[in-house]
Amino acid sequence: MSLLEARQVSVRFGGLVALRNIDMCQNANETLGMIGPNGSGKTTFVNVVTGHVKPASGAVDFDGVPLARCRPFEIAGAGLSRTYQAVRVFRELTGRENIATALVNAACPLDADAVVEATEWLRLTHRLDARAGSLTLYEQRRLELLMRLVQRPKLLMLDEPVGGLSSVEVRSMIAVLNELKARCTIFIIEHTMKVIRELADRVIVLLAGEKIADGPPGDILADRRVIENYLGSVDA
Amino acid sequence: MNAGIRWWLPYACFAIAALAVPLLLSGNRYFAFVAGMTLISVLWATGMNLLYGYTGLMPMVFAGIAGISAYLTVGLVAAGWSFWPAMLVGSVVAALVGTVLGLPSLRLRGFYFTLCSLVIQTVITLAFVYFVNLTNGDTGISQIAPPKLPGGEALGGLAYDVVLAVLAVIGVVVLAVLVDSSFGRRLIAIREDEGLAEALGIDVTRQKLAAFFISSLFAGVGGAFYAPYVGFISPRSFDVLVSLNIWLMVAFGGRGTIWGPVLGATLLAPVPFLLQDYYTIKDVVYGLLIIGVIVLLPAGLVGGLKHLRPRPAPAAAAKAEPAQ
Repeated sequence: MSLLEARQVSVRFGGLVALRNIDMCQNANETLGMIGPNGSGKTTFVNVVTGHVKPASGAVDFDGVPLARCRPFEIAGAGLSRTYQAVRVFRELTGRENIATALVNAACPLDADAVVEATEWLRLTHRLDARAGSLTLYEQRRLELLMRLVQRPKLLMLDEPVGGLSSVEVRSMIAVLNELKARCTIFIIEHTMKVIRELADRVIVLLAGEKIADGPPGDILADRRVIENYLGSVDA
Repeated sequence: MNAGIRWWLPYACFAIAALAVPLLLSGNRYFAFVAGMTLISVLWATGMNLLYGYTGLMPMVFAGIAGISAYLTVGLVAAGWSFWPAMLVGSVVAALVGTVLGLPSLRLRGFYFTLCSLVIQTVITLAFVYFVNLTNGDTGISQIAPPKLPGGEALGGLAYDVVLAVLAVIGVVVLAVLVDSSFGRRLIAIREDEGLAEALGIDVTRQKLAAFFISSLFAGVGGAFYAPYVGFISPRSFDVLVSLNIWLMVAFGGRGTIWGPVLGATLLAPVPFLLQDYYTIKDVVYGLLIIGVIVLLPAGLVGGLKHLRPRPAPAAAAKAEPAQ
């Protein structure tokens, strides 16, 4: 049985069709990527799955449970966690307080030793007492990951986790995310192929709200429709 | 053990001070009365702090809720109830009303919620004026009898002041315990970023309504004890200016800190009494304070002091920010 399954999901904003009849599934321990140009509906898809946007039609199941009537906090509580395209931490609180906030709301949080270990793994130990808003963007991105990790999500949906990072940091983040695969199942949105190619086992391509391809990164890169519509025009 | 004592020490000092002031001022009934009013203000400011300081909601309906409890308590006592159960019923009903009036905060953000609560406050004041047979309208209710102790003796003078001091101390300790709990952590998360709080699994609706209930309970208890202490209530006792005053105490002292609103109430509550002979400049003083707080001390006295304390300089802060 798949961990996440969406069937015929459509979203309309007024007259605009943001997503049209999207079918997808993701198995546990499979890293799934989603790419597409700006405005193709990637973030909207994550918003639907995490309960922030109600779809006009279609259904989403997570871990065998339908999510249709669930509110975002219930979905998070069920182990489906997300991050945001623009990094989002509690800026006025310290790193330690940010983590504590994530911990008090977790159904089965990491134990104290595991939190220390994860903090060290993300190289945030020495930054825990600084105000989160004073951290560098890359540190905030890692803090964001840590806040999800301590909640032990079954699935972590990352919305452009390398957005705004320098090229050195992007490489470092890719390494972090590769190690993250051992800790939880990842769904990752990117609008560049580079990150996806290195991380994903399978890729879904969105274009103007429609799924135009679904398969291993190698096949996707060879797909003519993808090349014409996307890779040829942006960067590959 | 040691940490426990250190945690309790400020509260013990506050308790001693709160009890000592009425004792020391008991020779002068007027000053003792001002101290008692200040203690009620401490309770109110502490209650509003839970919403304004820790949850990030600015309710301008706080005095109206205190008024509902005050009128209800006085009405029940007039109907033959003893003060103590009447006070409990009045406070709980006020807390429930406050919770219902908090519902708009689920949809309205920041300033818009404040505006909405301002309108509700006005409606409550009008209701106090309008339902004459319950509230005696604009004339108000005077000669409210003091509560009776179990022995049949009337609670008055120093004993009443001591009760108010105990209530203020309980209020402050309750707030401190709540803020230190996981409930407090959730409220702060909501204050900082509601969307992120929800994404981390916080039931924002439930936490907000719980905060409204507890905060309104503070308002209600204060209102119930206010009425017999002053001996007179009217719609003016609980109008929008009173709400604004309580807000000013919280903002002036430092919202989101335990001691800020206590300090704010202690400094500001006596002002109208001490300036009674200069009625015209009283409002000017208040106006200046509001402007001063907004411009000079957006974080309040205690909040401002906190920022003066140097933070440990993080070693890695010197590293250049990554190129965006």
